Amino acid sequence: MTGSVEATAATPSRRRRADFFAFLGRREVLPSVLIAPVLIFFIIWNTIPTLWLLGLSFYRFSLTSGRAPIYSGFYNYVNIINDASTWFDLSRTFIFVILAVGIETTAGFFLGLLFWGSDRLPGRRVALTLLFAPMVVTPVAAGTFWRLIYDPTFGILDWFIGLLGFPAIRFLSDASAAFWAVLAVDIWMWTPFMVLMAMAALGSVPRAELEAAEIDRLTLFQRFRLVILYHGKFILMLGILLRTIDAFKTMDLIFDMTYGGPGTATELVAMTLFRSAFESFNMGSSSALAVILLLISIAFTATFLYVLYIRERRTAEA
Amino acid sequence: MSKEMDAPAGADTATTERKQKRIGRRQLIRASAALGAAAALPRYAYSQSEKASPLAGKSIHMQILGIAGWLPSKLGVDMSPEFAKYAKSKYGYDVSFSFADAPFGALFQKAATSLATRSQEYNIIISDSQWLGALATPHWIVQLNDIIAKNPELNIEWWSPSIRSSYQVFPDGSSKLWGFPQVGDIIGIFVRKDILEGPGEAAAFKAKYGRDLPTTWEDFDKMDFDQWVDLIAFFNRPEKGYHGFCAQYSREYDAASCPTMSFMRSLGGDVWDPKTGQVQGIFDTPSNAHAMELYKSWLKYQPPGATNYFIAEVIDAFTQGKVFAAWQWVATGKTMIPPNLEGKVLVVPPPAFKKPDGTLYRNYIIGGQPWVINAFNDPEHMQIAVDFMKWWYLPETQREYLTRGGMPCDKATCSRPDFDGIYPWNRTYKYMLLRSSDFWHDPKYSEMLSDQQQAFTGYYTGQIKDPLHALQWVACQQQKILYDEGTAAKAPTAACSGITL
Amino acid sequence: MSERIREGLYHALLWLVSLVFFAPVFWIVLSSFKTGPQILAVPPVLFFRPTFDNYTKLFADPAFEHHFFNSIALSVLAVLIAVAVSFLAAFAFSRFRPAATNFLMFLLLSIRMLPGSAAILPVYLMYVAFGWKDSFVAMTLFYAMFSIPFSVWILKGFIDGVSPRFDETGIVNGASWFGIIARLTLPQVYPGVVAALIFNFIFVWNEFLFNYIIGGINTSNIPVLLATNLSQGGGIDWTFLSSLTTIYILPPILVVYLFQRYLLVGMTFGTVRGEV
Repeated sequence: MTGSVEATAATPSRRRRADFFAFLGRREVLPSVLIAPVLIFFIIWNTIPTLWLLGLSFYRFSLTSGRAPIYSGFYNYVNIINDASTWFDLSRTFIFVILAVGIETTAGFFLGLLFWGSDRLPGRRVALTLLFAPMVVTPVAAGTFWRLIYDPTFGILDWFIGLLGFPAIRFLSDASAAFWAVLAVDIWMWTPFMVLMAMAALGSVPRAELEAAEIDRLTLFQRFRLVILYHGKFILMLGILLRTIDAFKTMDLIFDMTYGGPGTATELVAMTLFRSAFESFNMGSSSALAVILLLISIAFTATFLYVLYIRERRTAEA
Repeated sequence: MSKEMDAPAGADTATTERKQKRIGRRQLIRASAALGAAAALPRYAYSQSEKASPLAGKSIHMQILGIAGWLPSKLGVDMSPEFAKYAKSKYGYDVSFSFADAPFGALFQKAATSLATRSQEYNIIISDSQWLGALATPHWIVQLNDIIAKNPELNIEWWSPSIRSSYQVFPDGSSKLWGFPQVGDIIGIFVRKDILEGPGEAAAFKAKYGRDLPTTWEDFDKMDFDQWVDLIAFFNRPEKGYHGFCAQYSREYDAASCPTMSFMRSLGGDVWDPKTGQVQGIFDTPSNAHAMELYKSWLKYQPPGATNYFIAEVIDAFTQGKVFAAWQWVATGKTMIPPNLEGKVLVVPPPAFKKPDGTLYRNYIIGGQPWVINAFNDPEHMQIAVDFMKWWYLPETQREYLTRGGMPCDKATCSRPDFDGIYPWNRTYKYMLLRSSDFWHDPKYSEMLSDQQQAFTGYYTGQIKDPLHALQWVACQQQKILYDEGTAAKAPTAACSGITL
Repeated sequence: MSERIREGLYHALLWLVSLVFFAPVFWIVLSSFKTGPQILAVPPVLFFRPTFDNYTKLFADPAFEHHFFNSIALSVLAVLIAVAVSFLAAFAFSRFRPAATNFLMFLLLSIRMLPGSAAILPVYLMYVAFGWKDSFVAMTLFYAMFSIPFSVWILKGFIDGVSPRFDETGIVNGASWFGIIARLTLPQVYPGVVAALIFNFIFVWNEFLFNYIIGGINTSNIPVLLATNLSQGGGIDWTFLSSLTTIYILPPILVVYLFQRYLLVGMTFGTVRGEV
């Protein structure tokens, strides 16, 4: 009795605290409270730099020139768009991204299916851990070691090819091979990620539905489209989206293996940006290039999400 | 009201009197200060070499930013305890040094970002000679002319005039000095003496080419490009596990550019005119195109994959016995000659080129790094930086630096009779310092270099067929960069619009 | 009989795939027990007497411990903060669907779209202006920020899969929203939480550029140490590279091994029986 009296006789500060939490818990306020921390992070660490970047793209400014930024409107953008090499770099990057993500997703999904159905695989956990190892290696180390592996004189690949009787392939030093060699390393590194995504997507499918589909004798393709894709769409889509965004930014591997060369064989757009922003310190034009790349990424993501959810929107409206 | 008006007047008289007294006192103080300063000034000017330094009794920490894993770079800090002793006894202050190391590929980035915020985090920075313009133009580093004038000990006689022009001067051709040479470096050819002197080799060579096999440094000195080709062709034995030669061709940094420009200059061409900033017409000449062809022709005798070689790959190829000879910066000498190759390697000058009158000529690109003083150092750190430099270039210090593996540039140390014997590459080093020069120090060096590298590597891997066209493209790009910057007087020619590689 | 053989072949194929992907990593690990010339030897040295010198040298270096500690501390703290904060936001996006949900989710994703080299200078200048250079806390928060997009998206996906019935039950029973979040929803989506933790951990673990430029002695992680000491005297220090890489992949590999279950479980965890 006395206890409850004490409890109800709350001190003003405690009551205020309780009121405060009750206020926060109100339906109108709670979402904002929950989202606030993320927004704070976003504003400080992302909005400020992005605005700076956006602003600087309208100036001509080189950090090492000692001169103040000169306002120049769209000068940087015009320069970049008029430069033929920009288009070559972009097309090269597009091809790289399409091939990389395409192969990684297809192979990832295929392997994911294989591994998903392998409950009885001896040492399954170890096998999967080994499979995921490429994702985990530090890019500097991976790039440097792959450079060694690809080297015709010191590398194990060309030694093996020589054993088979073929002439050594100059993976990184030959202009036509370098692009594919770098692409292969990217695929090696990130297919396991897509395998993971695929397996998570498959895991989202209720067993009951898969069995029902089998009983109904749906073809593999129908099973894929109606059951697996329906349930696993979100995770798969997230994986593809993230991978595409990241592939567009590929720079680490190139930096260690070929530095964009030979010639322009592996000059992807992120490498050009790195050079412009971080070696030449051409802040104006590199910011413009960054904004252009950002717009391309945003356009892609928006289109991707739109197309993905168009059916849902249609069924919702119907 | 009037009272208040009066009061200030009255007070004014009093204060005026007081003011006059104060003024008088102030004048007296000023006068005596001036006298004292006048008395003190000559003393300050000499205090550098006297015990009474303004920093006496203080304890200061200095930080040097340098190249990770590069012994000469670190020697400044390694030897700093000796400077600390010297400074304590001579100037009376305590100083400690620490070394901030950065991977060479990201060193400029670290320095530039730090200096952009006007930080004195790095009091002395070891920089590549190319970066002098990029560091000097925004006034991030100290112009040294005044300091050298006030401290005549820093007006050092260098072993070669190219030391000054390579490691100190910006803009090229002016008399403004910005750095001191921290480590000098030149190109040498490392030759496997044991393979060279193998049984029967001399006779076979003589039989094939009708000339004697070069065996001594002097023999190699006299060799021109064609003779070198014969030599490496002769020793190109893939079936025995080694090729004739390896050099630097990769896209990274200045790998392909340095050798190519060396050939261009040695054939009598050049890369630009520093006075006018003109590139077109100087860079894209048939002579320079011929230089590219010559450098490409060497690939026949090099291991597969040689077009992706930079410093590290050359080291690996040579130390693992995959090549007979290697083109390399001699500052990597200790790594190029590991214990198992000791005594088996001869370091000789790179090929000379025959001038029309028959004489041999070499003008190679110089390597090495200068170090520069951060302009944002407070007066104390600035003073210590100057003191440190003065101590560093004392002959005793440079001698110690040399024996520890450094590459000094001053005439006093290089002229020592025991210089050549300390390391196998020292003789070539001294020799080539007199025959090497640098390329642009312009702040836009990075973009100019990148375009050049793209063209050179494209040509060396066969993507581009016509070297002259490649040069014309590069010249257009570089002319545009320099013109936009204001360094070049002339704009790129009309032929440049629409030119692609 | 053929069923067994088929299954055997199937399993062999799976193991082959795993080994093929693991092979280059295996090569690095193997190299860490070789001497420099052995690493470069061709034909490749497969049978040799292993040496532990590389590791003794590595462990004797005080910088190694310091950087390793920084790596662990930064990675763990950053992802914990990120996932905690992201969970709250994902819950809000999923349950309350404020009008700006799609826009904000998209905006969060755009954080990842900016290439590092573009963002580095403004972030660096900002950090120096705030005095955050080489601040451990500021570095952690930066990495947390970078981990938020993936976490929010994947957590929202998982929370969407948890039936709202649970929340309703909770409210009826008098729980506060925070109680619902912590005690009802969280246990049902912990696969998503673990996935977010692990993926972001791996990313922060291997991050180099920002740590190198914005960080200093207090925050340098192993990738920075790796890049700095990779080159010795002009040549690549292969023994250092292989031994440090091998040690450095052990924690993430261990994490992937231990928490694999959670990585592979899908999003049907939160469905109420009978609902589809």
